[in-house]
Amino acid sequence: MTAIKFDQVSKQYTKGKKLLKEALIEVARFKRAEQFWALKDISLAVEPGEVVGVLGPNGSGKSTLLKLIAGVTEPTTGLVTVKGRIAPLIELGAGFHAELTGRENIYINGSILGLKIKEIDRRLKEIIDFAELVEFIDTPIKHYSSGMYMRLGFSVAIHVDPDILLIDEILAVGDAPFQAKCLRAMNQFKNQEKTMVIVSHASDLLESFCTRGLVIWQGSLAFSGPMTEALKEYRRLLTEQYGNHFNHGYHSHPE
Amino acid sequence: MIFGFIPLVNQWGELIQQLTQREIKARYKQSILGYAWVVLAPLLKLTTLSIVFKYFFKINTGEIPYSLFLFTALVPWTYTANAVSAATSSLIANAALITKIKMPRVIFPISAILVKLVDLGLSTAVLLALMLTMGQPIYWTIIWLPLIFLVQMVMTLGVSLILSALNVFYRDVENLLEVFLMIWMYLSPVIYPPEYVPETWRMVYNLNPMVGIINAYRNTLLYGVAPPWESFGYAILVTAGVFIIGWRYFQKRQAVFADVI
Repeated sequence: MTAIKFDQVSKQYTKGKKLLKEALIEVARFKRAEQFWALKDISLAVEPGEVVGVLGPNGSGKSTLLKLIAGVTEPTTGLVTVKGRIAPLIELGAGFHAELTGRENIYINGSILGLKIKEIDRRLKEIIDFAELVEFIDTPIKHYSSGMYMRLGFSVAIHVDPDILLIDEILAVGDAPFQAKCLRAMNQFKNQEKTMVIVSHASDLLESFCTRGLVIWQGSLAFSGPMTEALKEYRRLLTEQYGNHFNHGYHSHPE
Repeated sequence: MIFGFIPLVNQWGELIQQLTQREIKARYKQSILGYAWVVLAPLLKLTTLSIVFKYFFKINTGEIPYSLFLFTALVPWTYTANAVSAATSSLIANAALITKIKMPRVIFPISAILVKLVDLGLSTAVLLALMLTMGQPIYWTIIWLPLIFLVQMVMTLGVSLILSALNVFYRDVENLLEVFLMIWMYLSPVIYPPEYVPETWRMVYNLNPMVGIINAYRNTLLYGVAPPWESFGYAILVTAGVFIIGWRYFQKRQAVFADVI
């Protein structure tokens, strides 16, 4: 059974029109809003237990790919099928309110990620322990450091017991101990044969961690195969486009 | 459509509850005065409007004291106005969630409307206190209140669905809202009795669902008679129409919210 399936998926965006005035002008001038394709004709299948790393320069369509998997946006043409509960580690601490305590925010964030109150009750202790926030859990999170905030968000996200994890540059945030902790949690998921899709510019992480690599280039799927091959292909494309000095430079190119 | 509502509540009822509680708790924690204002602001409004329209404009409300006449309409009107206003900006306010996590987006306007129920409860308590101090009898017709309130809620939700979805595409909706609410209030019998509207215009005037709703509140609370079926009947019909249009429009547009927000 396939976990994630894209069948000739394309996604077109209309460039922003945010004011009534602009819409009226467009109608008056018989002008249509400018459109562009963020993804073109992507077909791929991810099997349960696969750990997929996605490579591509900024603006290549990686985020759109994650949004389509997460189901927050619909393809313009084609079909996206996803089986299982998704944990988007894209927005840590979704719905957190600064005035409320850590404990109250666990419930809000957990419900947003699709947990029932009873499920949160059962996992509460684990979530607090993992976040290392036992002493501060009844403090409003406006008094939290950014590290504490991230730990709490991450802890809730990994406790939703997902089948599929979507990870977007998660290791770019937080200090070294937090990153180590994330990595341990991710390894645990890998051992449990969870499906993971990771977008990152950290090539060594991807190389050591992923079982498959995808290269998204200008909205198209340029390569799909073993991670080492994917990295080679990505370097080749970068060199072709920008010249030799980009050979090693893409990871110093954060979002 | 109604069939879409039941699974929504089953699966997402807890989230709606969590988001509603979040706003209520946060406001309570920020300041106790936050809720004191909910009582003080309408009382200030009530006093000013009472003086202006009773003594300057000499609006005649028969045996019912003007302040009571005004307040029975001002309380529900303020609820609808505040709820619509909060719901209209609710999607933009939750843009981070909408672009990252999959959930029915209708949760946001619904929760915005529910949050304002706290304010309504407080101002209703003030209204009741006012009624008792002024010697207003409580009639058995008070049993109509749940039905009238249901119509008002559905109407408020319908309008909120249309305006919140529109606001995602055209940010000026938020700016036009204030004018829209002001016009709506003056075209509703909040500060004057509906009999002041010329007979020839009554038919058109009654198309505003707020007319029937306010008339129904006054009939049952102040006069001890059933809701006036000509205007309240209209209100029910128009409410059903507004809600169906709002629900459909919202469902149709929500697929692209994450793309344009």
